[in-house]
Amino acid sequence: MPPTTLVPFFRSPTARTAALSALIPGSGQLYQRRYWRAALAFLTTALLLFLVNWGLVNFKIGQVTVGGITTSWLWLAVAGFWAWNVWDAWAVAAGRRSSAGVGVLCAAVVLYVLAWNVTDVRIERLITRFADFRKVAVDIVNPDLFSIAVDGEKQTCSWGCLLNAVRAGNLAAIAPSENFGDILGRFKPVEAGGLWVRLGLAQPGQTITTFIPGKLFETIALGLLATIFSIIVAVPLSFFAAHNIMSRVWGGAAIYYVMRTFLNVVRAVDTVIWALLIIVWVGLGNMAGIIALTIHSVAALGKLYSEEIEHIDPGPVEAVTATGANLFQVIRYAVIPQIVPPFLAYSLLRWDINMRAATVVGFVAGGGIGFFVVETIRLGAYPQYAAALWGIAVVIIAVDAISARWRERILSDQSPAEVQAPRPWYTSLRTWSYIFLGAALFAGSWLLLKLDARVLLEPAPTFGRLVRDFVTIDLSPAVLDIVVKEILVTIFQALLATTFGGLAAIPFSFLAAKNLTGRSRLLRWIYYATRGLFNVLRSIEALLYVAIFVFWVGIGPFAGVLGLAVTAFALLGKLFSEAIENIDAGPLEAVTATGANRLQAIRYAILPQIVPPFVSYAIYQWDINIRMATIIGFAGGGGIGLRLNNYFGMLQYHKAGTVVLFIVAVVALMDFASAKLREKLV
Amino acid sequence: MLKVQHLVKIYPNGTQALRDVSFEVADGEFLAIIGLSGSGKSTLLRCINRLIEPTAGRILWDDIDITAASGAEMRKIRRQIGMIFQQFNLVKRSSVMTNVLSGRLGYVGTVPSLLGHFSREDRARALANLAQVGLEDKAYVRADALSGGQQQRVGIARALMQNPRLILADEPVASLDPVLAHSILKYLEQLNKERGITVLCSLHFLDLVHRYATRAIALKDGQVVFAGLPHEIDDAQFKAIYGQEAERVSIT
Repeated sequence: MPPTTLVPFFRSPTARTAALSALIPGSGQLYQRRYWRAALAFLTTALLLFLVNWGLVNFKIGQVTVGGITTSWLWLAVAGFWAWNVWDAWAVAAGRRSSAGVGVLCAAVVLYVLAWNVTDVRIERLITRFADFRKVAVDIVNPDLFSIAVDGEKQTCSWGCLLNAVRAGNLAAIAPSENFGDILGRFKPVEAGGLWVRLGLAQPGQTITTFIPGKLFETIALGLLATIFSIIVAVPLSFFAAHNIMSRVWGGAAIYYVMRTFLNVVRAVDTVIWALLIIVWVGLGNMAGIIALTIHSVAALGKLYSEEIEHIDPGPVEAVTATGANLFQVIRYAVIPQIVPPFLAYSLLRWDINMRAATVVGFVAGGGIGFFVVETIRLGAYPQYAAALWGIAVVIIAVDAISARWRERILSDQSPAEVQAPRPWYTSLRTWSYIFLGAALFAGSWLLLKLDARVLLEPAPTFGRLVRDFVTIDLSPAVLDIVVKEILVTIFQALLATTFGGLAAIPFSFLAAKNLTGRSRLLRWIYYATRGLFNVLRSIEALLYVAIFVFWVGIGPFAGVLGLAVTAFALLGKLFSEAIENIDAGPLEAVTATGANRLQAIRYAILPQIVPPFVSYAIYQWDINIRMATIIGFAGGGGIGLRLNNYFGMLQYHKAGTVVLFIVAVVALMDFASAKLREKLV
Repeated sequence: MLKVQHLVKIYPNGTQALRDVSFEVADGEFLAIIGLSGSGKSTLLRCINRLIEPTAGRILWDDIDITAASGAEMRKIRRQIGMIFQQFNLVKRSSVMTNVLSGRLGYVGTVPSLLGHFSREDRARALANLAQVGLEDKAYVRADALSGGQQQRVGIARALMQNPRLILADEPVASLDPVLAHSILKYLEQLNKERGITVLCSLHFLDLVHRYATRAIALKDGQVVFAGLPHEIDDAQFKAIYGQEAERVSIT
């Protein structure tokens, strides 16, 4: 082609932009100074190219043979995305509106085809192996909680048996089973000693009946102590991670960035993985559980607290500064009064989350109900496992309700009508009773868990090796290959779980929305039933579901996907229904007033209000699921957790370090990306 | 005597809030600062107690260079300068008493104040200042339980705790019902006349300037476009300050 015909073509900026993007995706958008778009187009293309090739090489995903050449049909989807990017560049340059539809579709095809294959989805197993599940399901419905004496021999007695006993008036033969005692606690005659004797309540050697708390109480104590410790550490830490405070200190900006990064890195590693590291230090037991829970909780609380400090009203800070107060006085008089309610609310929220984590930390750390659950699974003792699940559900639902109610009360922050001069706090009986109660709970938990702080000073001999190997991690290609593969599987597991859970949650969420179900008694019952279902399912951690699905569909990533999907279903169902409850009735009224019919009204007045929050919550859930997917391997759910566990088991800490590094990178990156995406959506 | 010399403020995003602002205020004056929103009034007032760092220029107060003061020196200067804000800037969850006492922070030791301890004299003074603004019965109410006008009076009481020689008032009545404007400004006038406290006050309404100010300066796009007595602002001056579109409105 002679240059004379080319020049006018490339003189047109739209054509030039499109041509640039055809050569290098995103470069046309960059040329038009649309930086976010450019980065997104370039990175997505690069990612898709990498993923399709990776899938073809490792799993032969989408493999087809055309004219003797073996390749993947997924390249077509990548080409589609590339073409969309050229069109997008052209549209941007021409000042037209560009829709992301085709691009998202092409990327989604690649992601889902890969996800489906690498996580080994075998939907048919849900049906072909239903008989296996039925056995477990029957046990789960009939937990081992009571026993009945038949001919002097104790037999497990579940609901049906209980009902019969009640009918027959034979309640005397019913007693809590051994399993009940393990989980909840039992009264047991023991030889009096220690505190009892010292307090003069018993003679030395005398036999007294005391209550021996079960694993559930241990779990409650674990969650409580970890929450107390993490609040104590996180409160002062959060000031160093708050931009508006640190910008007033010389060198504060540097401290702020170091602190924020530190909190993000620590937070990216799940409690259960922390437990894996900590047991090398303090050994198996409740101490390891407490430390793991506390570390993760400090990071999570530190972030939430510091964001809350950043969101305070700057007016009072300005005013107190203007009086000549120094930084400490400004914090005491202008910052602290403002942050008390949100700090309390977040602490209560964290207590709730810590209680949930405490139910599974024992999987690895060896303590609390989690350890008990691992044992029952290992023995295939499903009625005992079921009893533990029921116990957990009851405790967590109660904690959830208490925490939510307190948070609501704290955040409503009613100003007291008091007009008397306040008395000093130390003269108030109420304050003292709170202090006493808190101290008693703390001491009780400490004693119950049989904690001994001395173990902190006596690390296991392999601990030094752990530290050394984590510094010199193994980045050899062979290890990287495995770690990249497992981390991708983990991400895809989270993607599928969120998709399955989210799709299932949509119809249910409408049934659990109060504003849609207030009309008839039947609908109201459905509302309570759906809400109840969400709450019960939400109270059990994904790890515990995985243990069930492993039995149903077999060990592997698919069991992990299903376990995560159940929790995603429950949480998204709750969030979706709240989003529906929060819609503004104004537009509906206005659209209806124009003469629109019911479907039109839903399309134009309701959908626009619920789609952004739904998508936003789904992305948020994917983010959470990635974090959770890193640990489901501990229960046989595949993904990176299994690999990590193996490396730790074989003392290959330098490889375990690589895994942890990748987990931190991926979780932190997804956290950032999901926050940015959600910001754009809402 | 407060001397502002060639004051310049450029924000990090490039906005030029003040361009070479110079003026003087004699002790005992009630200086009104007028101008449109965004003309630099708030920036100017905050540069004087260095809540905002000026980019260039000097501020001399009784021949002490405020712009050169170190952190500790600045706090000593700030405690003699009371400030009153458009949004009152009270700590809403704290009691009125605590808010007023916080005006004393520049004078008291760090440790006792962190423990919430104030001397008997300071507490008596706080009650007296609350009485001065007619709120002695509200001392132990939480600040957010008060109306806007009452909150601004607490703001004045807080400033009085500093024993100020100068008061900076940033749109003190702009967030209040117009009928309350006079009640607040009368307190400022009283402090100005009876105690001889110099007042620098930014105001929106010209008739308030006429009624209370002894002198006025006008800012437009960060520059002083008028300096003189309030009644000298004629229609031509008015249009120069507020633009050709502006109409005089009054508040009664």
